[in-house]
Amino acid sequence: MKKISTIELTYGAIFICLMTIGANIAVWFPFLAIPIGGVSVPLSLQTFFAICAGLFLGKKLALLSLSAYTLIGIAGVPVFANMRAGLFTLFDYTGGFLLSFIFVAFVTGWLAEKQAAFKITNSFFIAVIGVAINYLIGVNYMYIAMNTWLGLTISYPTAWLSMTPFLIKDGIMAVFAAILLVHMMRRLPNTMFLNNSQKI
Amino acid sequence: MDMSNSLLIGQYVPSNSFIHRLDPRTKIMIIFFFVVFVFFANSAPSYAWLTVFAIGTALATKIKLTFILKGLTPVWFLIIFTFLLHLIVTKEGEVLVEFVSFSIYSDAIQQGIAISFRFFLLILVTSLLTLTTTPIEITDAIESLLQPLKKIKFPVHELALMMSISLRFIPTLMQETEKISKAQASRGVDFRTGPLKDRIQAVVPLLVPLFVSAFKRAEELAMAMEARGYQGGEGRTKLRELKIAKIDVLSFIVFALVIIILFFLRA
Repeated sequence: MKKISTIELTYGAIFICLMTIGANIAVWFPFLAIPIGGVSVPLSLQTFFAICAGLFLGKKLALLSLSAYTLIGIAGVPVFANMRAGLFTLFDYTGGFLLSFIFVAFVTGWLAEKQAAFKITNSFFIAVIGVAINYLIGVNYMYIAMNTWLGLTISYPTAWLSMTPFLIKDGIMAVFAAILLVHMMRRLPNTMFLNNSQKI
Repeated sequence: MDMSNSLLIGQYVPSNSFIHRLDPRTKIMIIFFFVVFVFFANSAPSYAWLTVFAIGTALATKIKLTFILKGLTPVWFLIIFTFLLHLIVTKEGEVLVEFVSFSIYSDAIQQGIAISFRFFLLILVTSLLTLTTTPIEITDAIESLLQPLKKIKFPVHELALMMSISLRFIPTLMQETEKISKAQASRGVDFRTGPLKDRIQAVVPLLVPLFVSAFKRAEELAMAMEARGYQGGEGRTKLRELKIAKIDVLSFIVFALVIIILFFLRA
């Protein structure tokens, strides 16, 4: 790995803060708590911010930044969704989703580096891949966690079925994420994309 | 903002117990091995033994036990749910209670109790780390424990520095987010009504200034660091040095004994 410059370092650190805000976005923007059957479910923009990390930072730095985010959470700072923290969050059945963000950021960063230019189609493609990785790792981890250390027997199709409402939500979110990304890219200065600046 | 303060200390509860004073690396390593060895418990005496160790450690932190248990509230649900699920699903052993179409077996109660206990132990012990150690100490410990990764050119120092910087800036950016939200509301933007599509589109005028201000901070910080001569981890000295003391070695020995006894108590 080539030496990390100071600016890359601080960008990586700032993305940890952005991930924290993304995970708990409904705290500041309460309109993002969506009422589903009488209960208001706060939307989390974690997947979206992880994808952004890939786009803005490039694969290596995104990987490093998201790993640091996960470690900060383990260290007890409430940076995860619903202000959770601690080592157990990773062992919990939703821990896989948390771990998957590292890969989401890495893969979207890698894909973004390969694109010649960003258009709505590329952006949509990247967002969908991001959500797919999120769920592939998340649900499989949930299945393994439940059937081994958590000692809850659950069949593989049930694991997927229980996550389907969220998958639909995040699928729709991916479409919006794609639109959001394109809008944001047009408005943000070029220099802010550390590794993809020439493509906007 | 009190939320910022609570963020910086995480779940840390100050006290002067010897557990608080242990080297954070000792605590992380002992907890890591505890998490592994909990799965080796398979009999009532072995679970009881681990519980004695966990509760004993919790008492040694000098933090009120009721406070620690209260902190576990979100997961009590999970523990009870696991127990009930086992009651229903497991169908081995003698029938203890019989309802109309549904009976509870003796093995179900045993397994339910064992697994709920495992949960309880895992959650209790992992929460002890963050209750007795500040995030900064844990960050230092992680940097030190990851040193071997330097051999494969993994930027351990940069990772740890990113963590420390974010600790400082998370509260700042949270305040910034609140300001942006209020600023846009004062311009008359109403996000509270309308279909989901409009609400999500309304996020753009909030996220763009958030990203811009965040990146501006990153740039200013990088400039400030370079102006003060930051040039990577090479030859950098530390304000807080970690040191393995006698008490750490003693803790490792005691823990090793606990584990050896655990293996004698296994069925």
